[in-house]
Amino acid sequence: MKNKGLGSLLLSMVICGSLLSACGGNSNTSSKNSGDTEAKAKVAEIVFALPSFNRIPDDLSKVTNAINAITTEKIGVKVDFRLFGPADYAQKVNLALQSGEKMDVFTTLGQFSNYVSKSQVAPLEELLPEHGKELTAILDKDFGPDILKTTTMDGHIYGIPVNKGMALPTNIIYNADMLAEAGVAADSIQSVEDLPAVFGAVKQKLPDVVPFGPINVNPTDTGLVNWMKGASKVDYLTDTTGVGVVIGDNGKVVNFYESDVFKNGIQMMRDWFEAGYLQKDTATTTITAMEMVSSGRGFSFLGGYSGMEVGKQLSAQVGKNIETKRIAPFYFDTSAVNSVTWMVSSTSKETEAAVKFLNLLYTDKELINTILFGIEGEDYLKVDEHHVKFPEGMDANTVPYTAMLSSGIVGSESLQYQLEGIDWSDVELKLKENKDTARSPYFGFIFDQGQVKTQISAVNNVVSQFLPALVSGSVDPETIIPKFISALKDAGAEAIIDSKQQQLDAWLAAQQQ
Amino acid sequence: MTARRKSPSKPLKKTLPLLILAGPGLLYFLINSYFPMFGVFIAFKDVNYAKGIFGSDWIGFKNFAFLFQTSDAWIMTRNTLLYNLAFIALGTIVSIIIAILMSELLNKLYSKLFMTGLILPNLISMIVLSLLVFAFLNADSGFVNHSILRPLGIPEINWYSEAKYWPYLLVLIQIWKTAGYGSIVYFASIAGIDKSIYESAKIDGAGKLKQIRMITLPLLKPTIIVLVLMSMGRIFNSDFGLFYQVPMNSGALYSTTQTIDTYVYRALMQLNDIGMSAAAGLYQSLVGFALVLTVNAIVKKVNPENALF
Repeated sequence: MKNKGLGSLLLSMVICGSLLSACGGNSNTSSKNSGDTEAKAKVAEIVFALPSFNRIPDDLSKVTNAINAITTEKIGVKVDFRLFGPADYAQKVNLALQSGEKMDVFTTLGQFSNYVSKSQVAPLEELLPEHGKELTAILDKDFGPDILKTTTMDGHIYGIPVNKGMALPTNIIYNADMLAEAGVAADSIQSVEDLPAVFGAVKQKLPDVVPFGPINVNPTDTGLVNWMKGASKVDYLTDTTGVGVVIGDNGKVVNFYESDVFKNGIQMMRDWFEAGYLQKDTATTTITAMEMVSSGRGFSFLGGYSGMEVGKQLSAQVGKNIETKRIAPFYFDTSAVNSVTWMVSSTSKETEAAVKFLNLLYTDKELINTILFGIEGEDYLKVDEHHVKFPEGMDANTVPYTAMLSSGIVGSESLQYQLEGIDWSDVELKLKENKDTARSPYFGFIFDQGQVKTQISAVNNVVSQFLPALVSGSVDPETIIPKFISALKDAGAEAIIDSKQQQLDAWLAAQQQ
Repeated sequence: MTARRKSPSKPLKKTLPLLILAGPGLLYFLINSYFPMFGVFIAFKDVNYAKGIFGSDWIGFKNFAFLFQTSDAWIMTRNTLLYNLAFIALGTIVSIIIAILMSELLNKLYSKLFMTGLILPNLISMIVLSLLVFAFLNADSGFVNHSILRPLGIPEINWYSEAKYWPYLLVLIQIWKTAGYGSIVYFASIAGIDKSIYESAKIDGAGKLKQIRMITLPLLKPTIIVLVLMSMGRIFNSDFGLFYQVPMNSGALYSTTQTIDTYVYRALMQLNDIGMSAAAGLYQSLVGFALVLTVNAIVKKVNPENALF
């Protein structure tokens, strides 16, 4: 009896012991990290998190070492380089910010003002004059001095917008071979009014092809709202609900969904839908127009792109002969510029080092292109001053490292290499359009949602209930838009509009001083 | 004297190994189910990360306001409650029927074959299921419109725009998915019933249906009560996959597919406010807790031996 009990006791202790020993490994790891930190006290360490739309390599050590060779020499900063996929990025960054884990430099991927309202980001206005001179200089040169207004709230600068061609005019993106087969000349497309005739010709000649599809799904987005914003100078005043916009320059905040601009746009899409240019299930489909075009079953879609060379990039991406035609100008409001913003965590202990790094990220050609393209000779080859290509026999999926698809969120486009075949004058055009594109008089205004969060949450539900069906033309605007407006009012839209009007008036008054 | 001295120490010696063996499990339970309860604070705070969770300002019930302040509050609460009641009632009935039918199968091969087939739907991801449903209901090429209604000349239905069909579709899909798995517990309970009771009843002239009604169902009552009571605890929650993915997030269906979980998801997608989402979770948990206590009290009054506690 005694021996039996003793055996059970020993066995259970062994099991517990083996369980606990598994936890021990973690503490060993953290001890090692502590040692590293002590040994390199003179070199500041920061974590830099980048979203990548390419394949994420298993081993980043070579690229990280190449980055650190530049940063430790020039600014005495050692970078812990983290690469996350687009679906993971926000989740991993937010988790680090919330748990207090080290996370120094990160980007928004949208929703700038929410980071500020939760005090997750550090003010930078005192650090930029000393550590960010070159950064502010290149922003002035490539965009203009008012770019930082889009990331300033209550007098504090909370982030640096990415420096690139910001103007994204609405294009019709189409399969050029199908257009030729339908007997239509590309020159006949000058505006959105010309599109129904093109769709009709394509549908008649190629009945199995869907003439027009959504650029995004779940929820469905046909690009119609962005077209309306550009064509009619609509400023959304930084939130995405559409409740509380200014159309033109009269300073009056209105419900976009009650406007004639919205009703006319929806009616146009309804006409297209009833003519059969969109699939019947566009409001709920899970297949984007890009996928339809890739498979040869789709003809076109609307999208906002900068420059004129995007057709070549899309052709390479989908394996078809793609061309683009601009059908509406772009209109700069605050969100157009601050939707991709680099920020420094409010809990960072190395804010100076982080700003020094951002200064390099925007101005150091070698650093920018190492982050985007990797190591010369291994990950890419130089073709000329501005162009690169992949090593022989490799492409974006087989090269050891590339983050080239993150070119829209890294540093300064004017310092980036371009893939072979892209006309460099297109970069110059983008920079010119940064200066020439019409700007809203309310450029720089940022809406603080704190006082109307309840209404915003209710309005979000109403918008996601009605808008996908409206922008896909799936429902009759005559009957549905009034219901939509009524539901918005019930959800508290008027309170949001009043709050915005109040804040906008105060902001305008402050601009006069 | 000797016997008395030995007996007090015996329980300790016998149970200590088991206690140590249970230690990791208890620790796991403590960490995963009790420590997170500190998160309740978040529901009452205006979370500011520079101050930390405990340092943030108290704001009373402000984080709860968005759940009650519009007419959506009624719709999402009604939908959540009614669907859950339908799932519990129909799920229980169908599970019991399946269990009884399965228990009548004397051939073990058939028994295993059918049980596997019945459980399989429960293993299918809700995402995959939403695409299976889409294959049936798509307006253009779905099986129902394309191969049933169109050949018969019956007007086709745009399923993803017609809210009135979805209460039936969602209940049907949920029962299909979960009843087989749910029947396992009842099947086990039936297997545990003393077979001699049935033999006695048969001798006394009871037919199969009478045996089921007079023996099987009464003896299943404790199991039914326990499982229903457990379900009450989650009556304010809904399966996100079933209510968001299966209807393809179609706005036209919100009047019948909007539940507390989908509402909170859509409402906070842009606000990213963890205080408001914590408030929703707390609200759901408190209602579930209150319901379990209430229903258990009722059961205790009516039939004391079947109460949970």
